[in-house]
Amino acid sequence: MLDITGLSVAYGGLRALSGVSLLVEEGQFVTVVGPNGAGKSTLFKAISGIVRPEAGGIRFAGEDLLARPAAARAHLGIAHVPEGRQVFKNLTVRENIEMGAYPEAGRQRWAETLERIHSLFPILAQRESQLAGTLSGGEQQMLAIARGLASAPRLLMLDEPSMGLAPAVADMIFDRISQIHREAGLTILLVEQRVAEALELADRGYVLETGRIVLEGPYQTLLSDDRVRRSYLGIGEED
Amino acid sequence: MDALILLENTLNACVAGLVIGCIYGLMCVGLSLIFGIMRVVNFAQGDLLMLGAYAAFYLVVGWGVLAFLGPNTAPFVAAVLAGPIIFALGWVLHRFLLARVSGLRTAGSLDEGHFGQLIVTLGVALILQNGGQILFGSTPRAVTTPLSSSAWLIEIGIGDTTIFLNKARLIACLLSIAAVIGLWLLLDRTRLGRALRAAADNPTAATYMGIDVDRAHRIAFALGSGVTAIAGGLVATYLSFTPFMGLDFVVIMYAGVVLGGMGSLLGAFWGGVTIGFVQQFSALALPPQLQNAAIFVVFLLIVVLRPQGLFGRSADRA
Ligand SMILES: Nc1ncnc2c1ncn2[C@@H]1O[C@H](COP(=O)(O)OP(=O)(O)OP(=O)(O)O)[C@@H](O)[C@H]1O
Ligand SMILES: [Mg+2]
Repeated sequence: MLDITGLSVAYGGLRALSGVSLLVEEGQFVTVVGPNGAGKSTLFKAISGIVRPEAGGIRFAGEDLLARPAAARAHLGIAHVPEGRQVFKNLTVRENIEMGAYPEAGRQRWAETLERIHSLFPILAQRESQLAGTLSGGEQQMLAIARGLASAPRLLMLDEPSMGLAPAVADMIFDRISQIHREAGLTILLVEQRVAEALELADRGYVLETGRIVLEGPYQTLLSDDRVRRSYLGIGEED
Repeated sequence: MDALILLENTLNACVAGLVIGCIYGLMCVGLSLIFGIMRVVNFAQGDLLMLGAYAAFYLVVGWGVLAFLGPNTAPFVAAVLAGPIIFALGWVLHRFLLARVSGLRTAGSLDEGHFGQLIVTLGVALILQNGGQILFGSTPRAVTTPLSSSAWLIEIGIGDTTIFLNKARLIACLLSIAAVIGLWLLLDRTRLGRALRAAADNPTAATYMGIDVDRAHRIAFALGSGVTAIAGGLVATYLSFTPFMGLDFVVIMYAGVVLGGMGSLLGAFWGGVTIGFVQQFSALALPPQLQNAAIFVVFLLIVVLRPQGLFGRSADRA
């Protein structure tokens, strides 16, 4: 469904991604992990069209994404839940979700998705007319995910949804994400720093370091890899 | 007896301030819409107002295409039509000039493109003023209507105190209010309006939602231009003007928008109304040359005492 080949991105002279290839099949849950500054958010921005790659290709559902302007990509079925939530602060909770449903697919399935969003995150139903900027961090994250779901996407991309959240709230967010994947069979691409949880949810995982994929495979392989255990899970140092 | 005269003058200043203020409010709303959604300070706003006045002039007097409507109706129809005409011009200005120095293109840059925007909008202002002089000439023009020299008189029953309601200004005031309400409904209630507000709030996230932010800005700029042009067409029904009229009104617009809290649409409207009051009251005490000075003084007081504007919430933008 999403097929990235040899993707390179540079900011000015600084190379953020070099030759990244990544594959997400329909219905899969794929996770990308890596340290700060590895280029994870840059990868998402390239998929969404906010940054322009200097080399490589991105295909989505058979289409050449790079030939499409950024604003057209949501309409193809890509939902990007960005790092740091980025909700529309001066719009109400309800209006934020309505903005998510801006693409045609979201509008057609509006009633059904809204009901689903409210059953996943009941708090958002209660806060419907509150300005999004006044929500707590956890609530804003739920809203950002809800806004992504509202477009009835074919691919949901989540950039560090647990960032800055209390462990209990982060766990709840992970639960919901896995529920969305299981129940709706939605294809998910997740970037996370909480490596153990993120890899456990995933069918496949990639490890990104300084702009390169250094390891990839099904999650059992990654979890048993020494480097991953040492660098990300903080275990196995003594062996 | 003196007390009655004072009462009459005060009441008339109030009414005239409110009526004129609504027209000022409309022009302020145009400026505020552009600033609120694009974060661009448009120095050419006064000149778009001027173009609105000339559009009305040519429709009614110059080419006379609307003359068949008669002198009571044509000037107001022309003022409303100035809206779509200058909307189209605003669209073109954004497409070929402003889009190059604003929007996502400059979103991440060091000064957010403000320097380029300043140069471009100032340049457009100069071109419109001087180009206007070449095209329209410097003879003062007016879109005269007999309504501007007739008034409804209201006796309020204290002595012979009478309130004068200039007919042309009152119609202009009602049209202004209608235009502001229409614009507000568009922004608050429609899908397009939500998309514009989302693009203003967070351009990057708006792009993730599938909103074409440059197009949203183009619509906002064109709408803001058109709305101010309608106000220009309405001003033309009671005031004679030249291609440099924008210079007088740009002061009023900036004062109104800052009073109302930058970026708040209804705030800008009330800011314009306040300026109308200040101007009419200062006319009671000050010679006409000093009326703009009075506006400036109020403006400075507000900036010092309440920088978030009289009607604005304190800005919560990141
Ligand atoms: N707009 C930008 N201009 C210049 N450099 C940038 C820009 N955005 C990111 N970078 C650089 O690109 C590299 C990758 O950044 P990116 O945000 O993709 O990392 P990340 O893996 O998402 O990190 P984190 O886990 O901290 O979110 C970093 O070195 C960063 O400094
Ligand atoms: Mg990141």
